[in-house]
Amino acid sequence: MNNEFEWRSEMRKLGGSVEPVHDLWPNIAAQIATRSTLRQNRWQIAFAIAATLVIAFAAGFVAQRGNWQSLNADSRLPPSSAMAWAQPRDAKLAAAARDLDDASAQIQQALEQHPDAVFLVGLLNRANGQRMRLLRQSQTHA
Amino acid sequence: MDGAALTLDIGLTQSVATNADSVLVRRAAAGDTAAFEQLYRSHVGRVHGVILRLLGMDRARAEELTQEAFVRAWQKLGSYRHESAFSTWLHRLGVNTALMELRGRRDEQAMDDDALQAAAGGEVPFCAGERADLERAVSNLPPRARAVLVLHDVEGWKHEEISLELGMAVGSSKAQLHRARGLLRRALGGEI
Repeated sequence: MNNEFEWRSEMRKLGGSVEPVHDLWPNIAAQIATRSTLRQNRWQIAFAIAATLVIAFAAGFVAQRGNWQSLNADSRLPPSSAMAWAQPRDAKLAAAARDLDDASAQIQQALEQHPDAVFLVGLLNRANGQRMRLLRQSQTHA
Repeated sequence: MDGAALTLDIGLTQSVATNADSVLVRRAAAGDTAAFEQLYRSHVGRVHGVILRLLGMDRARAEELTQEAFVRAWQKLGSYRHESAFSTWLHRLGVNTALMELRGRRDEQAMDDDALQAAAGGEVPFCAGERADLERAVSNLPPRARAVLVLHDVEGWKHEEISLELGMAVGSSKAQLHRARGLLRRALGGEI
């Protein structure tokens, strides 16, 4: 090999495929599965947070509107019921209550997977607080 | 005529392989691990080969980094734009994974280019013996000099590309190549 061309040609021959001694796929698959689960959990938590914030805002809005309507209420308000504390009779308040219950369930599910996530407890408390406000609102209506 | 037919055949085979990769990449990006395993089986040899050479034939570490490269590839599949062949994208990712090790080694980088020139001993043609001798001599080079030599002389990269990846000036890349060749010449007995 006496010149640059021969040298480059010889060096190129060092290239090419070399199969690993061990099959690396099982470890790669395991790492991929772990990271995918973490990513999925992060999405679940993010969704739960987003859903709770939207629902809390919507519930607050509905409750305020219901409050305003109750100030201008007339005899069309539904009669008092023994179950009013559980499910508001007003259709809008009932829908908001259901959404809040769903959000609470999602947060609880996320909490079971991540018991150390303190912020989820805070979110759950907020959702429950909103739910209580709705109940009080429904009782005012009743 | 035979040569033309062979060229056409190789081109056709590469095109079919690229299309097959493209389908598998789309499936893998959607979360299909079986498709990604097929991509792994098709490309692991090439990725492992370049990582192994860059690491100076350290087989255990090369396997770890090959594994890491494929995990990174899985994570980055969403950013692959199908503008270049998947094999090229993956090969580059493998090189980057191996170079990440070298980027942290600042001790060699501190050497100035004049010192490298002196170490190389001037412009002299090379002479190597058997391939095994050459492989061994390459693997014994200092890491950064070896990286530049492998990327330039074996993988066919340009100095501009190497300097970007290794975070050095183009002149330093040339000096490192010069140094690596000089050290190789010396290691192989200096037969001219």
